Amino acid sequence: MKGLIRWFFFRSRGDSPFKLLLIHLALIMACLIAIYPVARVVSISLRPGDRLLSTDLALIPRDATWSNYTRLLASKDFFLWVWNSLTVTISVSVIGVILAATSAYAFSRWKFPGRAPALVLLLSTQMVPAIMMLIPLYLMFVGITRQFGIPLVGSYLGLIVAQSAVGVPFSIWILKGYYDTIPVDLEEAAKIDGAGPLGAFYRIILPLSTPALAIVFLFNFMASWVDYILPRVILPKPELFTWPLGLQRLQGQFQTEWGMFAAASVLVAIPSMALFLYSSKWLISGLTLGSVKG
Amino acid sequence: MKKPIFTVLALMAVLSLMLSACGPTPTPVPPTKPPIATTAPPPTATAAPKPVKLTMWNKEAGEPLDWSIAQTKAFTAKYPNITFEVVNKGVEDLRNDYQTAALAGTGPDFLWTVNDHIGVFAAAKIIQPAEDVFGKDYFKKFVQPGNDAAVYEGKIWGVPISVGNHLMLLYNKKLVKEPPKDTDELIKMGKELTKPDGSQYGLVYNLNEPFWLAPWMGGFGGWPLDESKKPVVATLNTPAVADALEFLHDLKYVHKIVPKEADYNAADSMFKEGKAAMLINGDWSLSGYQTITVAKVVDLGVARIPKVKKTDKWPSPMTSGVYFLINKDTKGDKLDAVKKFIDFMVTKDVQVDFVKKVKGRLPSLAEAAADPAITADPILKGSFDQMAVGRPMPVVPEMRCAWDAMRPNQEAVMGDKAKPADAAAKMQIAAEDCIKKLK
Amino acid sequence: MRSVLASDIAEKLWSWLRALFALALLALVVKFLATYLPKQQSLTPTVVLGSMKTVGGFVALIAAFVVALEFVLYVILMKLLKWKHALAYMLVAPGMVGIALLFLYPFSYNIAIAFSNRSLERFLPGAYSYGLAFGVENFRSVFTDKILHDTGFWEVFARTWLWTAINVFFHVLGGLGLALLLNRTLPLRGLYRTILVFPWAIPQVIVALALHNEFHYQYGFVNNLLVSFGLPRVQWLSEPVPAFVAATISNIWLGIPFMMVIILGGLQSISHEFYEAAAIDGASGWQQFKSITWPLLQPVLTPATVMGTIWTFNAFNVIYLITVGGPSEKTDILVTALFKAAFEFYRYGQAAAFALVIFVILFAVSATWIQLSGGLKGVTD
Repeated sequence: MKGLIRWFFFRSRGDSPFKLLLIHLALIMACLIAIYPVARVVSISLRPGDRLLSTDLALIPRDATWSNYTRLLASKDFFLWVWNSLTVTISVSVIGVILAATSAYAFSRWKFPGRAPALVLLLSTQMVPAIMMLIPLYLMFVGITRQFGIPLVGSYLGLIVAQSAVGVPFSIWILKGYYDTIPVDLEEAAKIDGAGPLGAFYRIILPLSTPALAIVFLFNFMASWVDYILPRVILPKPELFTWPLGLQRLQGQFQTEWGMFAAASVLVAIPSMALFLYSSKWLISGLTLGSVKG
Repeated sequence: MKKPIFTVLALMAVLSLMLSACGPTPTPVPPTKPPIATTAPPPTATAAPKPVKLTMWNKEAGEPLDWSIAQTKAFTAKYPNITFEVVNKGVEDLRNDYQTAALAGTGPDFLWTVNDHIGVFAAAKIIQPAEDVFGKDYFKKFVQPGNDAAVYEGKIWGVPISVGNHLMLLYNKKLVKEPPKDTDELIKMGKELTKPDGSQYGLVYNLNEPFWLAPWMGGFGGWPLDESKKPVVATLNTPAVADALEFLHDLKYVHKIVPKEADYNAADSMFKEGKAAMLINGDWSLSGYQTITVAKVVDLGVARIPKVKKTDKWPSPMTSGVYFLINKDTKGDKLDAVKKFIDFMVTKDVQVDFVKKVKGRLPSLAEAAADPAITADPILKGSFDQMAVGRPMPVVPEMRCAWDAMRPNQEAVMGDKAKPADAAAKMQIAAEDCIKKLK
Repeated sequence: MRSVLASDIAEKLWSWLRALFALALLALVVKFLATYLPKQQSLTPTVVLGSMKTVGGFVALIAAFVVALEFVLYVILMKLLKWKHALAYMLVAPGMVGIALLFLYPFSYNIAIAFSNRSLERFLPGAYSYGLAFGVENFRSVFTDKILHDTGFWEVFARTWLWTAINVFFHVLGGLGLALLLNRTLPLRGLYRTILVFPWAIPQVIVALALHNEFHYQYGFVNNLLVSFGLPRVQWLSEPVPAFVAATISNIWLGIPFMMVIILGGLQSISHEFYEAAAIDGASGWQQFKSITWPLLQPVLTPATVMGTIWTFNAFNVIYLITVGGPSEKTDILVTALFKAAFEFYRYGQAAAFALVIFVILFAVSATWIQLSGGLKGVTD
């Protein structure tokens, strides 16, 4: 027992036991606040009869049932929607991270003409309310589709292009911020060893910024995964529907199949949760920076 | 910092001017062939009719959506050269996206949507009148409310699939033996059925939503718009509207037979859990109260919303319906195929099947409405009975102004923040203001 | 000695437990897929292969564009002009060209519509016309007419700033607090972090609806909590101030995890040696935070806060899902008013002018902010 307690504190050396206790209490509190509304969503998904609101305060309804899950999976095109979403989202995240990682490096390391205006332009793209950009964007895509035969509308291509562009400005700004914290001497050292500027980027900067890259990937992934408006306008074909569009089938003008809707929401959160769990390991590897810095 | 900002602004200004000078007018629409539509394989046999692929946007979800897709398949089995792509969209999304698509000339060939959209789409000139396509006589076979709710500027713009969409009084027979006949009875019964601890209420409904105010406006002798005038005028600052607001206010604050807060989902859930004896809700909701799980708690009865004692008038819920609307760009073979399909959808067999499969909705075809499938069903009969005293919802775009003018002021009355008469006056000002800007 | 052994065993057990948990989850997912995948018809191997092929083709297409662009830049800038900034331009070009194209056309379209008399009855191209006078009228109407039914621009403007300030403040505060707590070796740290990002990982639509219900007068969690403390119930959704508070609380709840993850990443890149040196000098925790953590966090925190401000200013979803701007338009912010102007009242010209006004406000504010905090500086400056 004593050993266990010792182990518990061993894993967190540096903090006094009392402080540690407080930290745990605060975190448990925060977790409860974070999880309660989510638990209510799970609770809705277990309710029969599509009751969005329950007069019952119990988290697990007395008449709990899995039927919403089984009905959703057996009768609707749920798997197809998730598959479509996954292909689009992964393409968008990978393209977004590659574009942002390279651009941000240039913004962080060189002071080239046009650098500041470009950074301001990136920020500007976030400022016009998205709802007003949608119609002209669609008109432009239709125009390109007609003029050049590039299928930007009615296929994944337009969606991938548009969603990548939505995430990249933020990604560049954030990555530039992280790169800025990495001292330039490290690359100088690598260059002395004979590496070119890109070699230094690849060998020094990228490994040191895995937490930032992971965050940017997560950001792009989540933004694309839950996006409803862009696919709604660009993909009006049922066989291409991503899950946010597919779920519309459950949502009528007044009457909505809330049980299945909640069940689907719980299920689509699984890939993002898995990604968060998996990325934990990348989020902490930045600690090596201290040792390299010397 | 100064420099980059100016550079960006200058650059944007110059580029924008250039682009706007060229006119960012969307590419002109080639009317016959939407270029994004999947091109059908070239016709091979000479005798076989040309393959046509139709795209329909559908506002439905769940059961009615599945039914509509099944019908397109049945139709294709009959006419193999005509195939369909059915895209479901939420009602508001359908309105916004159809306008966007119409700008680009990529809209679907026809729509399956609510009658409110007729006014907007007709005003924007992006649908064609159904009357011109089918001829005036075609509409004689539909029940009258179905045609009434599709008229805009003297023309019928849509073919009804189903009529109704009206509110009615639903009650749980396990709690209420006989539905109330008039408002006094409603209040008396409501008080008996409301428990002080909040575990049961006499009546629930979507308290702050103008759609639930409209029947009472009619019951007290008023209506939001006067469509007989040209241009259409708002008629919200009337004693009738003030009376209706006061009545609803008093149900909450004086008689206390409705909950302090209830939106659509709250009212729906409370009725489903047996915590509300009566509910005012629409025909779309009827099937949800007849499922096996809900039926354990709720023994559903349907009646008219009780007569207003003061005026001796029946409240008149807004009736509307679901319609086929045809894209202004649909022509030639496509238009013929659309006509054929719509014709098929309003035959008696299909309409009766609709009533049987999609519980709670009423058919648009008069012949189907007289079918035993409806007349023998007490719930559908009750719904039909309520519709008889309903009034068609105005389809003019001005109606949206009235809705938006009503909502905040109704909320104010229901929050006990404004006197009914003042709220009615404010509704009028807001609606007039909005109508003026619409032009 | 014994206890050291015990702690070793505990450490082992702990890692096994985690591995076991992961395996169990994996098995569950596999079983789930094995049960339901064969039962459905929509996702067939042909569909999977087909979509792989199209997406692969599209990604190749995008890559081809990038390579072509790079090649042109390489030949012109590097080989012909031998410019010293050639590499920087080549790195920046693909992203910037794409974004500029996707941004500038919609932006200028908006400007054009702001100078037009477009309305519902003059909807299609050709039916409406452009003119300076229309633009003047549109911009005037944004400021002097009511932008909603009952509410003018300045009231909504003030409320939007209040909304933005409160939200961003609590997002940063909450995110920073949690990140600081988590930025240490701590048992169960991974578990805490995973749970804390739940609000970000669950789709916003459904969780906002669930939150909406928690503010219900009778059955919501919040009122029941108040009652259990002996406080009166609040009509959260039918009173102006409570409704605003409810929407704000919901948005704070939704936004903290994102800030937490960003800040946690920033904290990871601060070297331990700074703290060790400070500890030797006898600096207190607060002093360490003030002189090490906070300044070193700035390169990451400033862009995140600026972006957060812009997003919150234009945050449409939460207000719409929780209050729809009600009661009596008392929780509308500029972007929800804009949405109503464009898509419910069909005032296209005014809405386009309105969008530009929002843009200019945000532009001015963020430009000042970035200048003050030096956010444009890179390491080489």
